[in-house]
Parts: sequence; C-alpha cells; structure tokens
Amino acid sequence: MNTVSNWSSAFLLSLALAIGVTSGGCSTNERDTTGAQTRLAEPTDVIDEELMIALGQAKNFHRKARVLMSDGKLAEATASVRQILSLRFPAGAPEAEDVRADARALLAKLLVSQGELDEAMRTVQEGLAQSQRESFFVANLHTVQGEIHEARALQAEAEGEAGKATAAEERRLAIAAYDRSIQINERLQKRLLEEP
Amino acid sequence: MATHDHDLLDSPVPAPDAEATPAERAHARTFAELVDKALAGRPPVAMSADDRALLEVATVIRAATRPPELAADKTRSIVEDALRQAIGGVGAGPGATVTPLARARTRRWVPWAIAGASTLVAAAAVLLVWLRAPVEVVEAPQAAQLPMSWTSRPADRLIGPIERARSGDASARIDTIFADRLDGYRERRLSSRGGMR
Repeated sequence: MNTVSNWSSAFLLSLALAIGVTSGGCSTNERDTTGAQTRLAEPTDVIDEELMIALGQAKNFHRKARVLMSDGKLAEATASVRQILSLRFPAGAPEAEDVRADARALLAKLLVSQGELDEAMRTVQEGLAQSQRESFFVANLHTVQGEIHEARALQAEAEGEAGKATAAEERRLAIAAYDRSIQINERLQKRLLEEP
Repeated sequence: MATHDHDLLDSPVPAPDAEATPAERAHARTFAELVDKALAGRPPVAMSADDRALLEVATVIRAATRPPELAADKTRSIVEDALRQAIGGVGAGPGATVTPLARARTRRWVPWAIAGASTLVAAAAVLLVWLRAPVEVVEAPQAAQLPMSWTSRPADRLIGPIERARSGDASARIDTIFADRLDGYRERRLSSRGGMR
C-alpha cells in the first residue's frame, strides 16, 4: 500500500513537471512572436562614446610619444606607443585594427632606431598575424618589415665577408616585403575606386 | 584414577592461600585438556562420573558467560522465517519468498529516484528551450538608412595608401581619424534620428 502511494506521488510529480515544461515552451514561443527576444538588425555599429574615448586616448599617446621622440627619449616614446596596443576599443570596431596596426608600425620603427631589430620584427609579425583584413595599415606594416630586413642586411654586412650571404638574403626578404605592401595597396585602391 | 578423583573431591578443602600439590596440578592439567577437547567437539569416549560432572558445570559456565554466535546465513534464515510467520498465511508456506529487508528499502526509494530523475530532465528541457529560443532578427528601417559618416568603419578611404616616407607618421593619421569620427559622432548626437539611440 505504501509502495503504491509512493508510485502515485512520483507519477503526479512527473506529470506536473511535464505540464510545466509544455506550458513553458508555449510561453517561450509566444514571447518570440511578441518580440521580447527580437534583436534589431544593425548594418554596422555607429560611432559611440566608447570608440571616441579609445581614439582620443590613442591620439594622446601618439602626441606624447612625438614630444618624447623630439626630446630624444626613445625608450619613453616606445613605452607610450606600447600603451596604445592595450587600449580597449568597442568589440569589432574596424578602427581598432587600423589604430593598432599603425601603432605597431611606429613601435617597430622606434625599436629599429634603438638597434632592437629582433624585437621590431616580432612586433611587426604580431601585427600581421592579428590583422583580419587587408588595409593600408597592414600594407604599411609590410613596408616597415622591409625596412627591418634592410637594417638586418646592413648589420650583416658590417660583419664583413662572413655576413655577405646573410645580407643578401635579408635584402631579398626586404624586397619581398615591399612587394607585398605594394600589392595590398594596389588591390585596396582598386577596390575603393569600384565602391560607390 | 577413580580413587584419585574420589580422593580429590572427598579430601578436605585446602586453605585459600595453600600451595597446590603436584597431584592437584596434574589433575588440573588433565581436566583442562578434557575441557578443551569437549569444547572443540572431540569429547573422550569414556570418562569418570566426576569428570563428566565437572565438565558439565564447565560447559554451563562457559555458555552463561559467552552466548553462542550464529552464522550470518543462519541469522538471516531465522529472521526471514520469523517475518514469513508474521506476514501469515501466504508467506508462511514453505515455497513462499520473503523480500530481504535491504531490497525492500531499495524498492521504497525507486519511485522517488525516478521522480528525481524526471525533475532533472524537465529542468534540463526548460533550460534548453530557454537557451535555444530563436532570436528573430528584425530589420530596423532607420538603422539601414544610417549615413556612412555615423558608422564605425575602416579608415582606408580616409587615410589612403601610406607612403614609405610617412610610414612612421602615425600621430598625424590618428589625428585625421579622430577628427573624422568626431564629426560623425557629433552629427549623430545632434541629429534627431541619431538622438534616438
């Protein structure tokens, strides 16, 4: 008798839950039609405060770096440019990629001027790896990459006869990098002309 | 031997602190062996009447101080037999079966276990329905008509190709981008359409 009572209670509980689930599903469908789950389609995100703040900060760090460079304080200028890379932009904002690529190009040039060629190359390669699309800023990164290869070629030449082969290889790589930059620029210009 | 036993039982009771005689020690050892054999289930075929009387007393004393322990199977059999008799009639027959207590307890929990599992499944179903509710994307007419200058977009058209001589002039480029986006932002904020967002 007790077992029968247990089974009955369990059955009633399961039945109540099943009814609850069914009614919950129905109400969810109703909610869909009323638009509570509706998300407005946006062709692209508009310029908002968050984007303007990030751009303003990037501008200030560039200005600071420019002043420091004019004073010959290259290490401090480098640190200022580095801070641009950690700025928080709105998610998916195309300006973020452009600003960061441009900051990386300047950072690499500053590192080259301080003789840190390997670090400069790493900076450029990171920028290229993180790029999602072709842009004039990405083309500029390839240009700077070519400059780094040229600087490496000069360094190898300074070693004398032993570095001649390395210098030749670095020059070849520099030309390849400049070529990539030129190709990207050409494709982009063509595309921009075709767009309304 | 009988005479000896007779002498032992009939002799005067020694003083409490009196030293045991060699004969008493020998008799005690012999009797101890006899008790051990009897407890081990190997009683001697023949023994004197006195020894038998003493052995019976020893057995009674042992049984009184240490009740016998039944084997687990025997215990279970007795308990289930008692239960069968308690249920009466149907279960009391020789062919009747009695559900062991542990299994009976398990059976009592089965319905609730099923109910608990059903609850979990139902909760998972609710979550699934909730999470997989399709998001209907409705085109907003005013969003589609946004001017390009109000939108976040690549800066390629604004900046153009970057000459090698100006590859490090990022400061000038960010100034241009900032000024352009600021114009768009102001337009949007000052416009009645843009003010809605």
